[in-house]
Formats: sequence, structure tokens, C-alpha cells
Amino acid sequence: MRALLLCLLAFSLAACTQRDTAGPPQASPTTMVAGAQNGGVAATAIVNFPNPGPFKLVEVNDPRYGKMECWQGRGESGQFGGTFRVSTFGGGPKTFNPWVASDVESSGLGLLLFEKLVDIDAWTGQPYPRLAKSISISPDKREYTITLRQGLKWSDGKPITADDVVFTFATIVARGYGNSSLRDTLSVYGKYPEVSKVDDLTVKFRTAVPFSPFLKMLPNVPIAPKHVVEPITKRPMEAFQGFWDINSDPKSLVVSGRFMLDRYVPGQRIELVRNPNYAMVDKQGRRLPYLDRFVYAIVPDQNTMILKFLGNELDFLDVRAVRGSDAAFMKQKEQSGNFRLYNLGPDDGTTFLILNMTRREDPKSKKPYVNPLKQKWFNNQYFRQAVSHAINRQRMIDNVLRGVGIPLYTPETIASLYFNKKLKPYPQELDTAAKLLEQGGFTKRGDRLYDSEGHPVEFTLHTNAGNSTRDGVCVMIADELKKLGMKVNYQAIDFNTLIDKTNQSLDWEAIVMGLSGSKTEPQDGANVWKSDGRLHMFDQRLPNEQGKVIVTDAREWEKRIDRLFDLAATSFDEKKRHEYFDEFEEIVYNQLPFIYLYSILDITAARNTIGNYTPTPLGVFYTPLGSLHNLEEIYFKKARQ
Amino acid sequence: MSIPVYILKRVLQAIPLLIIISIMSFIMLKLAPIDPLAYLRANPAISAQAIKAEEERLGLNKPPVVQYFIWLSNLVRGDLGVSTTGGSVFLLLMQRAGNTLLLSILTIFFTWMIALPAGVWAAVNRGQWVDKFFGIFTTIGMSMPTFLMALLLLMAALATRLLPIGGLTSPDFFERDFLGQALDLAQHLVIPVTVLTFIGLAGIQRQVRGNLLDVLRAEYVRTARAKGLPEDKVIYRHALRNAINPLITLFGFEFAALLSGAALTETVLAYPGLGRLTLEAVLTKDMNLVMAALMLGAVMLIMGNLLADILLKLVDPRITLE
Amino acid sequence: MIQEAPGFAPPTVAPRTRKTPWQRLWRDPLARAGLIVLAILYISSGLADPIAPYSMYFNDPDVANAPPTPVHWQDDNGHQTWPYVHPVERHFDPMTFRQTYFEKTDQSLPIRLFIKGEDYRILGIIPGDIHLFGVEAPARLFLLGSDINGRDNLSRLFFGAQKSLTIGFLGLFIAFPIGIVYGGISGFVGGLVDNMMMRVAEAVMSIPSFYLLIGLAAILPAGMTSSERFALITVILSLIGWAGLARVIRGMVLSIREEEFVLAARAAGLPEFVNIVKHVIPQTASFLIVAATLQVPSFILSESGLSFIGLGIQQPDASWGNMLKAALDNVNDLLNQPWLIAPGVLIFITILCFNTVGDVLRDVLDPKTQGTG
Repeated sequence: MRALLLCLLAFSLAACTQRDTAGPPQASPTTMVAGAQNGGVAATAIVNFPNPGPFKLVEVNDPRYGKMECWQGRGESGQFGGTFRVSTFGGGPKTFNPWVASDVESSGLGLLLFEKLVDIDAWTGQPYPRLAKSISISPDKREYTITLRQGLKWSDGKPITADDVVFTFATIVARGYGNSSLRDTLSVYGKYPEVSKVDDLTVKFRTAVPFSPFLKMLPNVPIAPKHVVEPITKRPMEAFQGFWDINSDPKSLVVSGRFMLDRYVPGQRIELVRNPNYAMVDKQGRRLPYLDRFVYAIVPDQNTMILKFLGNELDFLDVRAVRGSDAAFMKQKEQSGNFRLYNLGPDDGTTFLILNMTRREDPKSKKPYVNPLKQKWFNNQYFRQAVSHAINRQRMIDNVLRGVGIPLYTPETIASLYFNKKLKPYPQELDTAAKLLEQGGFTKRGDRLYDSEGHPVEFTLHTNAGNSTRDGVCVMIADELKKLGMKVNYQAIDFNTLIDKTNQSLDWEAIVMGLSGSKTEPQDGANVWKSDGRLHMFDQRLPNEQGKVIVTDAREWEKRIDRLFDLAATSFDEKKRHEYFDEFEEIVYNQLPFIYLYSILDITAARNTIGNYTPTPLGVFYTPLGSLHNLEEIYFKKARQ
Repeated sequence: MSIPVYILKRVLQAIPLLIIISIMSFIMLKLAPIDPLAYLRANPAISAQAIKAEEERLGLNKPPVVQYFIWLSNLVRGDLGVSTTGGSVFLLLMQRAGNTLLLSILTIFFTWMIALPAGVWAAVNRGQWVDKFFGIFTTIGMSMPTFLMALLLLMAALATRLLPIGGLTSPDFFERDFLGQALDLAQHLVIPVTVLTFIGLAGIQRQVRGNLLDVLRAEYVRTARAKGLPEDKVIYRHALRNAINPLITLFGFEFAALLSGAALTETVLAYPGLGRLTLEAVLTKDMNLVMAALMLGAVMLIMGNLLADILLKLVDPRITLE
Repeated sequence: MIQEAPGFAPPTVAPRTRKTPWQRLWRDPLARAGLIVLAILYISSGLADPIAPYSMYFNDPDVANAPPTPVHWQDDNGHQTWPYVHPVERHFDPMTFRQTYFEKTDQSLPIRLFIKGEDYRILGIIPGDIHLFGVEAPARLFLLGSDINGRDNLSRLFFGAQKSLTIGFLGLFIAFPIGIVYGGISGFVGGLVDNMMMRVAEAVMSIPSFYLLIGLAAILPAGMTSSERFALITVILSLIGWAGLARVIRGMVLSIREEEFVLAARAAGLPEFVNIVKHVIPQTASFLIVAATLQVPSFILSESGLSFIGLGIQQPDASWGNMLKAALDNVNDLLNQPWLIAPGVLIFITILCFNTVGDVLRDVLDPKTQGTG
């Protein structure tokens, strides 16, 4: 709720700068608009469905299984039946095994099939019990006692009990079966929590030290059916990779989610069918989900998705499907296509420019990773600030996103619960940039900029090839920096090569890239901000021979950020956490290790025949669940076969 | 030499060829300074240990020569390995190859069904409007980039709403009865088949026309005419049989080319075929998959040539297989 | 060029003057049209700098993704006047998400001929700064609209032509010599060496060419300048094309070795190698010419295919292939922005012309149609 108010506040402030755009075709000669339209898209109505409050627990009598404790849906009562058709782009999931899944598509499928112990509320962004019915935290903040709902059953009829939970956390995740990152997200100071069974329905987690993001991290782990998965864990670890892989019989999966896997048509489509054992009911006490089938097509790119939607082959387009360049066109088709566009506000991802601030030598070749000349420039705070002030973010958005985006200056996206609203955006200011450069010891002679030792400033800018948006961004940056006298050589390279540079060879000077983030928990970005993090891209420390990362040259502010993350991780005082993260954002805002550019807007499209679609800015997950946080309640207003 | 023995001989000859191809492909892929795990590394949610485990699993940290022999020994045992995306390469190929094969067969069928009569018609009426019409038609066909045509047809499909957009089957495919399924497949295949036929048709039609014209000028045709045979007997009984020969060789190439060549069209139309699979695999440096797909393509080419040679022998008794 | 068979007399009644192949080519209306269009394309791409209103890199970021600039031919009273344009301004409607460009009609700027514009060097040598036509700032003359960075599409089509059109020929100049020499040596030496060489050629031909193409393009190291990349892509394209040619040349060399006149020349003491060259070249000349004419469009297509996937010529350089890619990014809105298809149309026209000319050339050079009625 507070987040929503913050957002509204931010946007209404921005709206005050909005110009009247309904002017006549002939504008007066003095009104050149570049930059002033910013308030425009920010003031567009962001979805604002009222918060229905927490879920209500009801007792239901299942004819087969007896008493079941179910959550009651918070939407309106709908009609049963229908097949919901959506689409994702990419190559499709790589595996059906959600614990092995390391990519977005496979994890996305897992969200549809497996219910979480604890999930994130779409309106408040706070954790709430999902498979569980209650969570209690001990006074020392280290113990979590979580009680499951009574009577829950897997899709094969076996009961969901504390044994399954303990097995999942103590065996699969703790021992590192599948994707070992799951273990890392739950660990604090490298220590994994203890998991123990209290009774058939109750589990206790004990963290090594108070770890405040713990509950928000739990949704990363789907609960596994012990009676099916345990035998595999008795075999060598590699066998787990092949368990429930993409070639397994879809119908053999035992799940707890709204849908069960029915059919997989390779390279084309995934078909899911209602799980009759799903334990949620609507306001009339009828068992959810309403939909009979959920089908998603796998297409190579967004263009195809939009074509399919307009061609009536899909019912819904989730986030990332409608890009800035598509928005106007889609809006135009709302009437004829019988659908509506929903603006979910800024996305959780960020797009940024980084300069390679590494100062070390490659131990193998004994040569510095970055040319020592350029090291000096990139490590000069005035230099980075000048670059940031020279960039015209709004014009970038106008050009590459067709105006459908928001400028970004901080590591936390504007939609984040922890966004520091005190940090002010600034437009392109070439004079300020020039002054900053002077202060930094740079001089401009004629067209070129020279550093304090008389070397002309020149460097290479990379981004991944084949992406017109990134391309457009880089061309603009090169142009704008040229006005400061810097010579920027822009080169698009293959994505694989780019990652190799940032992760292994560190052979790069400037890169434009994007990362996904989180609107609800900045701790998610620890990998990026910790000095020894795997994605600490602006000054990547590499593991040594033994595979350990040892940080020897952290800057003062880097150490401060490390400390702030640790403090925030172990503090349960929300107010203090906000202070810690605010300070972290302020450091980044001033030091600019990442020069942030913009956030895109999440826009979805849903046919008007879909009922109960109440998307929220905070309730966005991996597609195909996406913004359908209440998928169990989605229905067709006239049941369609 | 009998045909079965000839086939065996050709198969044996093909083996060193395939080995050379596999080495060349392997070298090519290894030279690329990239990393199949790049996507994993870029994902903040994946830990370093998870990445290392993947490297081990795929055998990426061994020297290239060792990797090649590992791959080769697996191949001989029938194990095509695991793609970096997780699925079995063999199954992936089989699934997609079937789709591409369907596309190819339909395309070849329509191409030849149109090109043969069209070529004959044009040759027989050389210089007249029929000939000129096909001349222009085929010139356009040969000059049009496949991806451009696929795109234009896609737009037309959207504008008219007559045909589905991309893919191979509709979401409710499996609920339909046999006739419904056939219809669904047919609808989805209209655009890809049209694109590939239009473009392939051009070359074949010209060849037919050219060959027939050559043959019609030959001595024995003049003899047949002098003997008083009716013109159509001259054409169909004598000339055409001889004009077919060079076309059979073309047929072999077409067969192989179609299995691998439609990559861009498949990409634009989201058709789940082998071409698109291989293209994506090359772009993501999915070693096992690319090697297998390249080998498959080469095998198809060789088989196509073999098929063409055997057909030739069956059609023209003068040709001996040595 | 074509050897006249000695003592051949045409069996027609009246003596006719034999036309050279060139004349026969020119007489065919289709071929003539094709040649003229190709000449226009090549000359205008060579003179792109003065002809195009803007340079390849020029951009006005405030006028990005703009539709073609409306050119006005009538003044306020409806009288015919010298064409002029207005500067434009971009507005964004947050309700419809649409960006529109409005003309600022208070300022009119005429289209000027031989206007002084950006500096250039034609073909890198001849400096100048006069452009055939253009307008003064702040108006822009984007006759085919602007791209995502505010660059003029029309100008970039000219510069794109430079890349796309030359790559065809350059590829030829590399592929053909390789093929000829390789095939020549193979046929000349014969025996085991010939066998081995042909096996390798077959292997190259057996790899589906498109995958070979992208595989090689994907290998290209990252830190290359655009001209280096252009050169390497040309080389890669040639590496695809040489094998087929080598086989044909080898076959021809093999058969020629046994011909009478070669044996005669050998008896006369001419070195074997010179012998072959002297006789092979004329025999294969017509084949080579036609093959060349038909290979160029295939190179152009390959380059556009590569750039289309993003592996060919990279931004900010223009090539028809990568400009077409930009059109594909907007495929849904293509009906509203049809000018984006222009690069594809140009590729089509170029290939059409080459094919037409090649066809007629083949008929013209075909010895069987020489001297017959």
C-alpha cells in the first residue's frame, strides 16, 4: 500500500512538469519539445486495482480426501471452463525439473506447476503463507515456525506434509542437487539454515544469524514430492539432472500447483490441465482454478507473439511482449481486437552503461586488464559523473522506446519498495558535464578532450549485437560524449563474447547492458553489489586457482556497500533497512559505478472476455505466470472451448 | 555392378567424407571465442558453483582434441550427447527433422508438379507469351530473398485473417479428429510451402525448359520428326525422357538442401524445423547440437546424391554405375 | 573470346554480319533495362557522398523514427511553387502511446540544389562538400523517413548500396581465382592428389552453406573495425563459393588435357602448364562469365541474410541487409511504415537485374545459338 502511494507521489510530481500535448498541429516556433514530455508517460494511468486484503482460510470438505484447508480467492466469482492461450518467446523450457532449472523459461514453467511454501503478495510485496497457513518468527529472529495447511494433496493424491518440506530444503537444496544457486539465496554469511520437522504439518527453519530477507527468498524454492523425488537423490548427483528432463512423460510429473503438465509439443507448445487437487476455493466455495486448460505457445520473438495475439490465436500478452515500439500500434487496435492494454508501471529490470574500473593485473599474463591510462579516467569520479550528465535519457527513451519508458538514475527501479525518492533525476546538462571534467583535470582543446597528462580521451563501447534498442542507445551515447570531446568507438559484439569479456577476460572498456532486478527485495542484487559478487561487473573479481574470490583492493565506498548489504540482511527493523538501502542507492547515485539509463514499462494486453484480471506492479513473476498472480481465479466471461 | 553393392560402396566412400566434415565443423566451432554458458553467467540467480557443474557436465574444460574424440566415440555408440539447453540432442533432432521433412516433401512435390509441366509448356511454346510469362515469374522467384517473401506473406495473412500465423499446429490440435488435424496442419503449412515452392520452382522450371530445348534440337528428334511422328509423341516419348537426366541430379541436391536450407524462412515464420534449430544452436554455440545437425545435413546431402545416381541408373539404361 | 570453329559457314541465304555478344546483349530489351538499372545503382552508390543529402552517420536525435518529410509544391494560395519543407516537432500522447510529428508551418525552407552540406571524400579520395539536393537546418529532408537514431534512411540506402553491391564483386574476385587455381591444379596433377583435393572440395560442398556461413561469421573476433569486418565477411562469402567452381574447372582441365590440340601443342614442345592455360581459359571463359554474373546476386543475398541475423555488417554502418533488419523489428506496424521495406525492394531489384542480364548473357554466349538462324 505504501509502495503504491510512493509511486503515485513520484508520478504526480513528474506530471507537474508535463506540457500540454493536446496542442494544434501548428506549434509556435519557440517550443522545441525535447525532454519536456517526460511527465507524459509517467503520468499515464498505472493499474490501480484496490487491495482486497489478505486471503481467508476456509475449511472445505473434499469428497475424496475429507477435510482440506483452502485459501479463498479474493476476486469475483467466475465461470468454469475454457482454455487460456498465452505465449512465451525463446526456445522453450530446457527441463521440467524446477530444482535443476537455471533459466527463466524452465523456472517459469515451475511456477505454474508447483505451489510455494511462502509467496509474495501481489499488492503489498510482502511474504505470506501459501502452502503454509501460518508463519511465526521467534523473538531472536532466527527461527521460523511454518505450519502447513491441513489436508493438502499432491496431484497423485498423496498428502503434502512437513516431510516434503524438510526433504526439499534439507536434501535437495542443502546438498546442492540441481541448481546450487538455490542454496546461496537462502544462506547468510555462507551458512545455510537448519531445517527440522516439528510435526506432520510443521517445519522449523533456523538461520545462523538473523536474516531478514529469508521469507522473501523462500519462494525461490518449489516444494518437492518426497515420495517421488527421494529415490533419485539416492543415486549419484548427475542422475538428478536427467530427472524430469524435457523428454520425460509430461503426465508423470506429480505437482501441487494450479495446473498439471499434460502435453509437451517440442519447440511449439506446452499444454497444462487443471489440477483437481488444488486447494483453493472461490467465494462460493467451489474449487479453483476456473480454467480447464492453460496452453502456452513457444515463439521465437515478440513480433510473432503480437501477430498471433492480433490473429486471435492468443488470449493474452504478458509483460515484455508489448514493447515501447509496439505500444502505440496495440493501443490503436484495442477496439477492433476486443482487448485492453494495462500499464503496470516501470519494469524491475535496469539498462545501464558501465566503465571498466578494474585496476588489477591478469595473474596469467601479468598485464593489466585495462590500459592504465584509461584506468585513471574510469576511476575518476568526475569523469563518470560528467558522462552521466552528458546523456540525454529522455531523448533516448523517445527514440529507442518510442517514449514508453522512464529515465533511471539509481540501482533500484522506481517501482521498487525501496526506491530512494530523495535522489533527484537530472536532465542532460552539457555545461555541468564540461565543468565536472575540468574539475577532474581534463581539458578540451578544439574538438577533443585531453586528460591531465595530455592524452586524448578515447575508448571502446560494446553491447550485444542484433538488438536494435541497445544499438540505438550506444549510438546516442557515442554522439553525446563526442560533444564533450571524447572519442567513443562503438562496436556491437556477439552476446556470448560479451559475457566472456565481463566474466572471464575482463577485456572491455565500456559496455551497455541490462540486468533483471527485484521490486520487493534489493538483497536479490547481492551478487552484483558485493565486492566479491559474481556479477560485480564494474570491477569483477575473479576466483583464484582454488576457486575462491579474494578481494584485495575494495574502495571505501565498495566496502561501505558491502557493510550496508550485510546490515540490511541481518536487520529486521524495516525503517533501518530502508535507511541502509537508501544510503546504498545514494552512494551509487554519486559514485556511478553503474550509469543507469532507463527502465521500460511493463505493458500487458488482455482480451475483454477475461475475468478477474487484476494485475499489480508488484505482482509480476516469471512468465508465463507473469502478471497473472491470481491465475487460479482467471476465467472467461463466456466459457470458451 | 548391382545396385545393392553400389550402395554399399558409396556408403563406405561417404565415411571418410563425413569424418572430414566433422573435423572441419568441430574446428570451426572451437575457433569461435565463445562460451555456451554465457546465458547462465549473465543470470544473477545462478551461482558460480552451478556454472562450474555445468562445465563439468558438458566436458567443456578439457582440451579440444580430447573433446573431439569424446564426441566421436559417443557418436559411434549412438549417443549424440546433451545439448547445453538440457535435452537429448538425438530426440531434439528427430522431432524437428520430422517437421522439416514434412515441409521439404510437400515443397518438392509442389515444386516439381508445377515446374515440370510449366517447363515443358514454355519450351514447346518458346518465345510466346507463355514462355515470357514464366520467364518473368521465375526470374522474380530466383531474385526474391526468402525472408522477405515470408514476411510479406505473413503480413498478408494477418490482413486477411485467413491463415494462422506461424508455427505448425494450433493449440487445440490434439482435440481434433483426424480430418481436423490434417486441415490444421495444412493451414499452417500454406505459407512456408508457398515461400519455398515459389523460390525453388524458378530454378527447376528453367532447367526443364533449357534441357528440353537442347534435346529438341538434337539429331534423333529431327529423325523422329522426319519419320512423321506426331509432335506430342516426339516430345513426351523421346525428348522428355532424355531431358529428365540432369534434373534427377538436381533432385538429389534439392532434397538435401531443403532439409537444411530453410533456416531463415523457418525463423521468420516460427516454424519448428531443423533449420531454425540449427541456426539457434550455432548462435548459442551449442556444440553437441550443431555438430549433430551439421552431420545430419551432410548425411542427407550424400544420401540425396546417392538417390539421384540410382534413379538415374533406373531411368537411363545407358548409364553404368562404376 | 569465343573461338570460331574454322571453316564454318552459316547455312542461311544472305550473308549476315555477325554481331558481337555485347551487341546482342544490348539489343535484348530486358537485358538492356537490367544493365541500365545496374549502372544507375553502381554509379549512384559510388557517388553516394554528393548525391545523398546526408552522410551515413549524420543524425538528428530529435527527429528519430520519423515518417518521410512532406514536400510541399503549393504555397498558401494554392499556386505552384518551388518545393519546400517545414521543420518538424515530435509530440508524445501518453494516452495512446503514440509519437507524432507535427510540422512547424511558420518556417518554410526550400529544397536547394547543389547545397553546401557535410564534408566528404568521394571514394575516400576526392574531397567536397556540395550535395545534389538538401535543405538547411533546422529543417530535415528525410524523404524515406529516419531510423531509430534519427539518421536519414534515403542517404543510408545509398551508402548501404556501397557495401551490398561491392561485396558481391569482391567476393567474386576472391572465390573465382581460388576455385580456378584449385581446380586447375587438381585436374592438371591428377592421380591421388586430385582425388584428395576433390574429397576436400566435396566436403566443403557437403556442409549446408548457410550454416557454414553463420559458423564462420560467428567466429569473427570481436575487436574489429567495420572495414576489417567487411573484408573478412567478403572472404567468408568467397570461402563458400569456390568449391563448386573448382570441381567444374577440374573437369574441364581433365578433358582438355586429352584434346587433340593440346597433344599437338605438347608435341610442339610447349610447356604443359602454359599449354593448359592457353587452352582452358578460352573454353571456360563463357562459362565463367555467366557463372560470375549469377554468383554476384547469391553473394548479395548471403550478405543480407547474415546482416539480417546480426552477424554481417554492423551498425552504425549501413548495409541493405542490416537496414532491412530494422524493418523487421517493426513488422507489426509495417503497414503504417511501408518505407521501411525499401532496402528489401532494392535487394530484390539488384538481384533481378543481375539474373536477367545473366540469363540473356548465357543465351548470347551459348555456342549453340551462335550463327544459327
